[in-house]
Amino acid sequence: MVQTTVVLGLLAGILMLINAKTTGQQWKGVQVGLKQMLQTVPLLVAAFILGGMIEVLVPAEFVEQWLSAQAGLRGILLGTLGGMILAMGPYAAFPIVGSILAAGGGLGTLVALLTSWGISALNKAPFEIGFMGARFFAYKFVFSIPFCVAAGLLAHFLEVAVL
Amino acid sequence: MKQSLVITCLAALAVMLIAYVVGGSSLLVSGLSKALNTGLRSSLMLAASFLVIGQIQVLLSQELLDRWLQNFKGIKGVVLSALAGSLFPGGPYIFYPFIASITEKAIPFYILISFMYGKLLYDVTRIPMEASLISPTVAAVRNLLSFPIPIIIGLLAERRFANRTFTDIFGRQVK
Repeated sequence: MVQTTVVLGLLAGILMLINAKTTGQQWKGVQVGLKQMLQTVPLLVAAFILGGMIEVLVPAEFVEQWLSAQAGLRGILLGTLGGMILAMGPYAAFPIVGSILAAGGGLGTLVALLTSWGISALNKAPFEIGFMGARFFAYKFVFSIPFCVAAGLLAHFLEVAVL
Repeated sequence: MKQSLVITCLAALAVMLIAYVVGGSSLLVSGLSKALNTGLRSSLMLAASFLVIGQIQVLLSQELLDRWLQNFKGIKGVVLSALAGSLFPGGPYIFYPFIASITEKAIPFYILISFMYGKLLYDVTRIPMEASLISPTVAAVRNLLSFPIPIIIGLLAERRFANRTFTDIFGRQVK
């Protein structure tokens, strides 16, 4: 965790330097980031509580049978479905996914869930239908499912064989 | 954001109530202490993540990405538009109107769809949050395995629709 913080800190520094040289708006970037952080704090607090509660509420047997690496394809399919119905933005969804990981969720399940959340989450439906039409949304939704399952399967094999 | 906050708060209250009913105050406190630990552990990482997000948002403008997209073509164009999608700043309220605006231009559908999946799958402003709030390993594996998806989809679209635009295929959506 310390490593990640250091890497992110360094990345922020590098981006500030690039901004200073190209746009001259590096301090505006800091301001934009901090403003967004302050706006997000209430959502993060609620999401952390939600994640913590899920972690203590979901029975270990359920995680082992349905979401762990042992669950295999069952976990990947459940993860794909979970991603679709996890109709929340990243600040709310990620702590929940983190709690599934902490409870013992397998890599295949988590990757399928995150991929599905990224491309098929139903909270995007109003935007996609509104701006691009129902036909486009339907095609995209159905067409995306095999990719979520494939990503989950690859992650599962990676976990079983390598990690 | 407000809608997301309301839904998350309601869901948090509901699970707190369930925890209290199922396991009494000890389970409730246990859940809250896990939440507090996660919050404290990730607070510095989150601050660094938001600094990265702020810098990226200032560095890349919609006009710049719009100009790039109009110049992308072929397989190279698929890869570049997917990468350009990852750099697009802002949430769905900004992204979808932008996508709708470029459907009006003579940009081939395969470029548009690669760009769209690039944004949805490897949004660079989301990676720091993914690493902070889930785990750096899960974030790395997820991004690595998702990487080919926008490119495969773009190439399939190019094979199926050639240079036809979104409007040619689905008709005009935004009147």
